[in-house]
Amino acid sequence: MLKILIPTLMLFPTIWLSPAKWLWTTSIAQSLIIALASLSWLKWSSETGWSSSNLYLATDPLSTPLLVLTCWLLPLMILASQNHISPEPLNRQRTYISLLVSLQTFLILAFGATEIIMFYIMFEATLLPTLIIITRWGNQTERLNAGTYFLFYTLAGSLPLLVALLLLQNDNGTLSMFTLQYTQPLHLLTWGDKLWWAACLLAFLVKMPLYGVHLWLPKAHVEAPIAGSMILAAVLLKLGGYGMMRMMVMLDPLTKELAYPFIILALWGIIMTGSICLRQTDLKSLIAYSSVGHMGLVAGGILIQTPWGFTGAIILMIAHGLASSALFCLANTSYERTHSRTMLLARGMQMVLPLMTTWWFMASLANLALPPLPNLMGELMIITSMFNWSYWTLLLTGIGTLITASYSLYLFLMTQRGPLPSHIIALEPTHTREHLLITLHLIPIILLILKPELIWGWCF
Amino acid sequence: MADYREAPLATRPKTLDPAEYFNLSLDQRRAEEERAGLRAQLKRQYQMQLNNPHRKELIEDPALTRWVYARTNPYNHFRATKKTSLLGGLFGVVPLFVLYYVLKTDREEKRPCIYS
Repeated sequence: MLKILIPTLMLFPTIWLSPAKWLWTTSIAQSLIIALASLSWLKWSSETGWSSSNLYLATDPLSTPLLVLTCWLLPLMILASQNHISPEPLNRQRTYISLLVSLQTFLILAFGATEIIMFYIMFEATLLPTLIIITRWGNQTERLNAGTYFLFYTLAGSLPLLVALLLLQNDNGTLSMFTLQYTQPLHLLTWGDKLWWAACLLAFLVKMPLYGVHLWLPKAHVEAPIAGSMILAAVLLKLGGYGMMRMMVMLDPLTKELAYPFIILALWGIIMTGSICLRQTDLKSLIAYSSVGHMGLVAGGILIQTPWGFTGAIILMIAHGLASSALFCLANTSYERTHSRTMLLARGMQMVLPLMTTWWFMASLANLALPPLPNLMGELMIITSMFNWSYWTLLLTGIGTLITASYSLYLFLMTQRGPLPSHIIALEPTHTREHLLITLHLIPIILLILKPELIWGWCF
Repeated sequence: MADYREAPLATRPKTLDPAEYFNLSLDQRRAEEERAGLRAQLKRQYQMQLNNPHRKELIEDPALTRWVYARTNPYNHFRATKKTSLLGGLFGVVPLFVLYYVLKTDREEKRPCIYS
């Protein structure tokens, strides 16, 4: 664990001491080396399920895929930001990359944490760099509103979690995940216990986001610059899912009765957000709402507490992280050329940038869960385990899948096919950097077809 | 009159001029000409921007900007009328209760099977 954490911390001196010409090269190179080194976590050698542990940090088959995703995303974020940050003065560029690296550090500490309080502190700590990135480097005046919504929704959800964790510590004496999985299931009968149950999960449900409390997500995703959107869509939402999966271990007997409202909100949310996607005019907003839908499926899979549900949730989290981040990068290539997110204005791009159309096509196929990509595998496992839980959920998940396919198709057709607007005369050709960025997103998804054991988690 | 279209090289005969055909008053004719002048100005503005060889950005269309703003900010102008309350309730509140009822009864029926 430390062999990844210390090079990540050492990125700070790299950023601040590199000469101006080498800043981007060295930071991308170092973060790529860290990403490749993080692949060594995928070798789970221990019997207890936890490996590479020290006193405070450990990895297990649940956190490893998310950690590798986080480490993989850092070079991609820096690569994506290179263009729009370049007109700024040097120290501001350094600050921006430092914010991304600090976010990375907090995320590694969060996913690797074994004490739940440490996870909570890192969960909160990731809010700050993201808030600064959204409100300082966003492009429209709505970014202030977006930052406020983002911060206060997540904080309001997680303050009850702090109280709940302190109560748990009081009862159990420890909050270490190593031991909490072996405690007796708590017999929770009073209203206070039910509130405790809700408090444990609310923070993660807001972060996921669940349909009723999802309002911060479209705002934050749309107003954030590209690196902010990427990290939000790919990793920060998954913090919510990861937290839920960790907490489920202790919440068990009560979840059978109390989970119904949240499962229903999650399932209905898939259909509602899918339908909203079909009516969006803003490109990033469409991708943001599709994230809410996919995460609703993940939330449903986690809340029914079956092995297949958990496995499907982890697979879908990883696959959705990569696919959604790829879509945001593609939307950014369009935005950098036309400075507008309106889909009507940037139609017919296939005529102008045909190779980019290939990447749009593949990313849209990943979003609509085409077999044999892991997106489908995750969704299928969740859908079948929910069908086992109750036959009626198939109606909702089936219609949800249909709507997902239709808005992914709509996204592809709106941006790539159709007439090119007559007043678009000068678009930059696609940079190699942009092709590299998107292939680095899509290649892991394709490789995961061949070895899904890496992201199955510990329920298989 | 509706299907009369001008030939490229011929002029429109005087009796088919819309002002004459519909017997418009002098004020109306003046207003028509003013409006035609404004339209020509807007078209000229667009053509100047379109054919400017140094232009690198998109031509801004104020109607499109207004439309996009209206599409993205509906909540500022939301009013609770009978129709909006009905729609909100029908799609946002009722399905949650219906689904709760359906799923709960389904699970209750299955409970003996699961726990046996």
